[in-house]
Parts: sequence; structure tokens; C-alpha cells
Amino acid sequence: MAALQFAFPSTAGSRRRPESRSTTRPARCTADRQALFNRIAPVYDNLNDLLSLGMHRVWKRMAVSWNEVREGDTAVDVCCGSGDLAFLLSEKVGISGKVIALDFSKEQLQIAATRQSAQSKACYKNIEWIEGDAADLPFPRSSFDAATIGYGLRNIVDRRKAMEEMYKVLKPGSKVSILDFNKSTSSLNSFSSSISCFFQDWMIDYIVVPIASGYTLADEYQYLKSSIKKYLTGKELEQLAREVGFSEAKFYEIGAGLMGNLVATR
Amino acid sequence: MVRRSGVLLKSAATGISSRLAEILVCPLTKQPLRMCEKTNSLISDSIGVSYPIVEWIPRLVPSDGIILQSDQDLNSSDSPQTNSS
Repeated sequence: MAALQFAFPSTAGSRRRPESRSTTRPARCTADRQALFNRIAPVYDNLNDLLSLGMHRVWKRMAVSWNEVREGDTAVDVCCGSGDLAFLLSEKVGISGKVIALDFSKEQLQIAATRQSAQSKACYKNIEWIEGDAADLPFPRSSFDAATIGYGLRNIVDRRKAMEEMYKVLKPGSKVSILDFNKSTSSLNSFSSSISCFFQDWMIDYIVVPIASGYTLADEYQYLKSSIKKYLTGKELEQLAREVGFSEAKFYEIGAGLMGNLVATR
Repeated sequence: MVRRSGVLLKSAATGISSRLAEILVCPLTKQPLRMCEKTNSLISDSIGVSYPIVEWIPRLVPSDGIILQSDQDLNSSDSPQTNSS
């Protein structure tokens, strides 16, 4: 993947990893994370493009393909942010379908709604934006034919509750596609996993945070590193999905192992 | 505003479609919500909470809910919306 083929830095030099000198507290609780995503909302889309060199668009298309959403379906995108996945779902379900897009950040939703207004495709009119909590979804049981969560599950404090809610609102047989950073199971016996883990850390410390600092958002993107370390591995995500009731759960590594996508079937 | 499909009626006051209001439930009780144009909100009668609609976006995070203080608050809202197409 050309976008991520950077040369490894020399470890012989005296350069230290960038450290944050901010006194901003870690985003531990839901309110902190909500505030964080409100702060980054104005530059979120631009930074996504810049930091992934546009590859996030490919990964999101893959995520939508995996949940097998069809024309006429009613789909939900949880943790929709500025709406990338919602727009992709909308193209799939068409004007006869419906997309409900939920996020806990008011600012992200405002940007998503503004983007929707600026779009000319008729199918985009079928998206409804909801401010809500992934751990307390405002939908009845068996409401949706397909679901996505893109770069959201990692940021949810009570992930089990969120998965339980997702299970309940899906119709039997329907799938959820959960895209996020991949937490490698780094071990001495897994050279490739160690490389991915090192490369991920390096990317965040030397690419992501310095670029984000140019937008005065260094702390917010430093959160990314700790959130990945606290996230679940692919196997753990599969196990969690089965524990809350999904009949099938399969995790796929993509983006040279930097990203991963869980596909779970109700 | 009538949607292009000709099926949905968007509330002039709240800006959310009647169809959307019908599929939403209280995030805490999972009971149906009642749309109130007078207060521009969605009412959870089961627990006496009002969820605001701001710039056509329903705010259904539990912490956004406003506890209705009295029966007067509950009764001051409109009667349940009926769909018209």
C-alpha cells in the first residue's frame, strides 16, 4: 500500500518521541470523548484525507460492502461522525431505502447535515441524523437490515453495551460491519504483528500528532494511540460479538494490518 | 414539506419526518416517543422526559433529556400527531 510505505526511522539517533506538554486530561469518560470529537469536528474530514492519504475512503467502501446492504433496505450508521459511511450506505439503499445516522457529537452532525445539503444526489435525502449514544440506542428491536460503525467502537466506553444494543436493533440474519484501527496481537512469535504495531505507533508519533499539532489538536490525536492500545484485538472482537449473541463473527485485517473490520451476523 | 417520494410528511415546526418520529424510541425505556410541535421536542411519556429537536436533529442522548416537572408540563404538549400524506 503506497500510502503507508514510509521508511523506518533510525533508532541510533538521539531523537526522542514527541511528547505532549498539554495539561489536557485523558479522554476517559463519555463526556470527555464527546467534547474531543466536538473539538476536532471542523478539521476531521480534512485530517482523515491527509493522514490516510485518502485510503480511509477505500476502507469505508469495503466496510459497507461487507454488511451486504441492499437497495430498499433500512440501514443504520452508529458513530456516524461527519457522515462518510452514511453517504455510502445511502448510495446502496437508494431512494427507496432509509439511512439513520447516529452520533454523540453535535458538531460532527452539523457538518454531516451541511454536507448533505450540499449534495445533489437524490438518495442522500433519505439520511436522517440523530444525536444519540451508541450504548443507549433510540431504536426499537429489529429495526435495521444492515449496520455500520466506522472508527467508533474504539471510542465507546462501554463497548459490550454498545454491541448488545447493536444486536438488538438489527433484524435476524442482518450484519453489522465494524471498521476501526487494528490492535495487533504483538508477540515474539508474531514478527508481522510486531512490525504492524511498531509502524502504527511510529505513524501516530511522527506523522499523525505532528500534523494534528498544526491544527492545535495534538492532544486530541495523541488520544488515538492510547485508544488503540486499549481497544480489542480481532479475536477479542469476535469473541465479544458471539458473547452478546451474534451467530457469526469474523474479523478481517485490511490496510496492511493497520485497520481491521469485524463482520457480525445477528 | 412533502418528500419526493410523496409518502412522508415533514413536520413544518420540528423539521423531522413523521416516519422518523414513529421509529424513534426513548433511549432509556425503549418506549415510543410522542412528537410535540409546541415545545419542538420528543416526549417520553413513560418517564416524563422531553428530548429536544435542534435544527432538525433529535437529541436523544439520555443526558439531553429534560425532566418534565409537572403534569402541566406533560399536558401542555400537543396531542399525538396523526399522519397525513
